[in-house]
Amino acid sequence: MEYFLQQGLNALALGGTYALLGLGLAVVFSVLGLINFAHGELMTLTGYGIFYTLLMGVPYPLALLAGVLIAALAAVLMERIAFRPVRNASPTTMLLTSFAVSTILHILFQNLISARPKAIPVPDAIIGAVSVGSMQIGIIQLLSIAITAVSLLGLTLFLKKSLLGIAMRAAAEDFNVARLMGVNANMVISTAFAISGILAGIAGVLWLFQRGSVDPMMGFLPVLKAFIAVVLGGLGSLTGAVIGGFILGIIEVSLRAYLPDGMLAYRDAISLTLVILVLFFLPQGIVPRRESVR
Amino acid sequence: MAKNIGKYGALLATIMAVAPFCAAQAQDAIKIGFVGGFTGYLAPYDQPTLQGIELAVEQINKAGGIDGKQIELISRDMRSDTAQAAVTAQEVVDQGVQVMIAPCDVDPAVATGQITQAAQIPTIAACASTPILPGMVGDYMFANYTADNLQATALADYALEQGYKNALVLLSRDTPYTEMLPRYFATVFEKKGGTVAATLEFKMGQQDFSAEVTKIKELSPAPDVVMTAAYEPDFPAFIRQLRSAGITAPVLGSDGIDSPTTLELGEVAEGVVFSNAGYPTPGSALEKFNADFKAHFGEEPSAIFTATGYDVIKVVEAAVKATGGNLEGPALRDAIDNLENVAVATGSITYKGMNRVPLRVVALNKVQGGQKVHVANVTPNGADVPPAQ
Repeated sequence: MEYFLQQGLNALALGGTYALLGLGLAVVFSVLGLINFAHGELMTLTGYGIFYTLLMGVPYPLALLAGVLIAALAAVLMERIAFRPVRNASPTTMLLTSFAVSTILHILFQNLISARPKAIPVPDAIIGAVSVGSMQIGIIQLLSIAITAVSLLGLTLFLKKSLLGIAMRAAAEDFNVARLMGVNANMVISTAFAISGILAGIAGVLWLFQRGSVDPMMGFLPVLKAFIAVVLGGLGSLTGAVIGGFILGIIEVSLRAYLPDGMLAYRDAISLTLVILVLFFLPQGIVPRRESVR
Repeated sequence: MAKNIGKYGALLATIMAVAPFCAAQAQDAIKIGFVGGFTGYLAPYDQPTLQGIELAVEQINKAGGIDGKQIELISRDMRSDTAQAAVTAQEVVDQGVQVMIAPCDVDPAVATGQITQAAQIPTIAACASTPILPGMVGDYMFANYTADNLQATALADYALEQGYKNALVLLSRDTPYTEMLPRYFATVFEKKGGTVAATLEFKMGQQDFSAEVTKIKELSPAPDVVMTAAYEPDFPAFIRQLRSAGITAPVLGSDGIDSPTTLELGEVAEGVVFSNAGYPTPGSALEKFNADFKAHFGEEPSAIFTATGYDVIKVVEAAVKATGGNLEGPALRDAIDNLENVAVATGSITYKGMNRVPLRVVALNKVQGGQKVHVANVTPNGADVPPAQ
């Protein structure tokens, strides 16, 4: 039972990080129909942002904040420089553009900063664990769960209560009609990128707490997981991205916890098979995007 | 227009003046090729290796070359892509290199070696550490770096010396390094009387080790020592979560964690012991190399691969001297195969009787107060080293 509870908590913490990443991809997809594969590079930028601000002697909490803001700014710039010129091109063009942005940033990191990882110190205060009964709960895990909850709450409030948020939801449902209603397309898209940048930044900080270093390839794997989470949850649905993230986290952790040793090597194959199985019965994902009948 | 003619005229004159010199130099030069992954996933290894190689080439050329022959280095980026490695290797071979240096990972190193083996060009893999590599390619392929089985033997010997009896091994099948090094460790450890409590697996880049750590916690009896060849970003994540869970067993690692990140980990990494290719003890060749490196590049070496890259050129130098300047492939191959105690930046290298996988010193280091502290330099007994597989 205790083993189960402990693993359940592990799943929640990992799923939360996937949810944040998936949400970042989904926010952009919902307004632009683009899966931004350069999303992972925003996490990497957060890492380098923290590294250099710490180097300049900025206090730790401010450096974290700076890291997240840098990701948000970079996301907006990414849209302005790379995606806006091809906005009306085919989705394939936009997808390839995002791969190009990702590759260019990789090479720039490798050649201008360093191919070797840069260490990012993590304060001892957040490395420890709290004991609940005979369970040990890592503070980083608790932080992950808490930060995910706060971020999701904040985003929901923004989307439900603010004018810009409502405009974004309208755009997500039908961009053309929203524009006819006077919604400013550039504004909505820039905001979507800024939000995805902030989410990437927050997920980046949580990721960095675990790994303790930033290197040029850091964002590659997370964006892949986020993509799986988004497809699983239902492309274009924000709620779906969050649910997809948590389900992916739960699948991964339970396979690692309960598969017999001999089977462990196949766990990625098994987890992806499970994802395909879900999609087999729910081809639009778990929370399909609402489409009005035209 | 006239101005332009003047410009081109000057250019032409320069070319004509330089051309004979180039031709003369080409005859006397030793051409060494390096096919490396300077971008992509190998960049963290091949970029530092290139720096070490460049430093060695410059030092030797400044001092008059090898027996009067200047070294000409031809380095090409294969973008960490195995298929591209073969193409790039062919390009470099076509330029007439006499020695080739292969990338830092076993797959592209094999791709490079297959081209050079056919062309009878002796090839040295700068930091690929899989001991089966030379055997997979053929008699022109040599390893340079501390082989995985050698390192694992040094670690197992150390673990037994410390009185550890019951080990937990954490491996990943994603690369031969992360899988086989812990397996070699387990082989030696068990053969010499230790037991392996459990072998856990991880996926590289998984970040989250909570499931594995929870399993370790459940083990009874608790392991005396945890051994892994995980490196960044897996190792920092693993050890943090291990210590967070209250597991205090000592941790042994390999040269993959010889990185500033490990030293920045703080309290959780305290006491971690890891092996690597050398430690700059006062008065050692490595200390001198590090000083030369700083003087040349204006920065500290970012990784030991700078020194091991330097070593490759010193091996080539020793081999060319041994053949008396004969640069034919078979002669150079035999010369490298018979080298003994070549003085290099990391200590000394012996190929004689080693089946093209060098015998080198393994340094053991400990993390203490955020510093890398030298524990010992060991050369494992050849008979203890498990066969390459």
